[in-house]
Amino acid sequence: MLALGALAWLTALGSFPGASAVAGETEFRVIVDPDNSTTSAPRELLAEAFLKTSTRWPDGELIRPVDQRPESTARKGFSQSVLKRSVGAIRSYWQQRIFSGRDVPPPELDSDDAIVRYVSEHRGAVGYVSASTRSGRTKVVTVK
Amino acid sequence: MSQGFIKTTENNYLADSKRGSFEFAEVGVNFTKSFTDQLRVGLQLFTRDLGPIGNYTPQLDWFYLDYRFWDWLGIRAGRTKLPFGLYNETNDIDSARVPILLPQSVYPITSRDYLLAQTGAELYGRVPLEGAGSLEYRAYGGTIYLDTTASASTIARLTVPYVVGGRLIWQTPLEGLQVGGSVQAIRLDLDYQPPAALVTKLQMDGSLPADFRGPLKIEAPVLLTVGSVEYQTGDLLLAAEYSRWRAKLESPIQVLVADTDTVSERGYLMTSYRTAPWLSPGLYYSVFFKDVDHRSGRDAYQHDVAATLRFDLTDHWLLKLEGHYMHGTGALASAQNDNQPTKTLAADWGLLLLKTTAYF
Repeated sequence: MLALGALAWLTALGSFPGASAVAGETEFRVIVDPDNSTTSAPRELLAEAFLKTSTRWPDGELIRPVDQRPESTARKGFSQSVLKRSVGAIRSYWQQRIFSGRDVPPPELDSDDAIVRYVSEHRGAVGYVSASTRSGRTKVVTVK
Repeated sequence: MSQGFIKTTENNYLADSKRGSFEFAEVGVNFTKSFTDQLRVGLQLFTRDLGPIGNYTPQLDWFYLDYRFWDWLGIRAGRTKLPFGLYNETNDIDSARVPILLPQSVYPITSRDYLLAQTGAELYGRVPLEGAGSLEYRAYGGTIYLDTTASASTIARLTVPYVVGGRLIWQTPLEGLQVGGSVQAIRLDLDYQPPAALVTKLQMDGSLPADFRGPLKIEAPVLLTVGSVEYQTGDLLLAAEYSRWRAKLESPIQVLVADTDTVSERGYLMTSYRTAPWLSPGLYYSVFFKDVDHRSGRDAYQHDVAATLRFDLTDHWLLKLEGHYMHGTGALASAQNDNQPTKTLAADWGLLLLKTTAYF
């Protein structure tokens, strides 16, 4: 009983091994271009990539993040799980960046298939798709 | 684009607010073009009306050429927004925040012309600290071109020989918590033409040289500092800033304009929370002391407690309702209150603001 209670507590905190993977399987998967040597990436690096505070992969290749539309279920899941903020909060973040001339947000595409096409065709690209989407030529990356 | 309405229970503040005023509007359009992954250009056109300020005169708010060598080093040149405190760069972006008015103690909307942007260059970058978060830095130098057409008739010329400064923010290992500090040094040079009657009187009693014709060249160096802390988690925002501004007047002829050296004190605590995708309430307390050496008297300070409701009606249209309880008259202007001394104005007063913004 104690072990079950501890397990429930750790899972709720998201610290139980595989908890992130479970969330990813049910909501989204992160994909990168097929030539990217990355097989797993820290959540923080992905967050920095999509907020454009980091612009390079560890191998020096330029990171090209691509988003989905705000109403996308995958985007909502990615925003909460990886960016740790709601889609609305991220929108405010980009409003500040745009109107202060600091940067522009990643491109937004209409569908999982469009994301897969973009990521497979652009070196350094990273995106996310619904867990059930075929990843095509792209490579699925584990979020650490 | 935004249109607002401002109403005070007593005293005129920012506009002819006692009667209620719609002189509270702004329109901004910006363009950004990336030529390569590292090279970008951008510009923003802006126009506003706030009481006697702006009157829809269009201006080029900012324009720049930006080249980012690496994450830790980039350079920007042109007219760039000043990185002062957490929110100076977004002072005029209604859609980027919950409150209609940012805490005016640190972000006075009436000083936008001096605090918004500088023409010069800036270095910026972000340095990871291996387990200790990261440091984001910005350092700039240049000048500010001022529109002096609305200046007092006694000011023949107003220039800014330099503005330099920087901001350092530590993104701590606790995600969402950032701590930082900003400093800015600016000097205003004024050519002051005193009234002829005053000159004659002082020359007759020997206080002023007989050959004085004016103008009097005055230098006004100002040093602004602010310490900042912000914590964002999910849809909750907590922020606090403390600031001191040291303003001097240095005059070669004391009988016309005496030297002054004043330190003002400013600060606020602020919070907001997105309770639903369409609703974000916010709250802040702000305080301003005009002179740290003279804190008594209603005109020496301004306390401000504000509450805001932000309604995101659609993805591109929002409405805000905001109320303030004000104690003090330190932030008021005599010129907007029939030239009455601010120490005679009502000490306790309310401010209501309504604003709607469409953004794309």
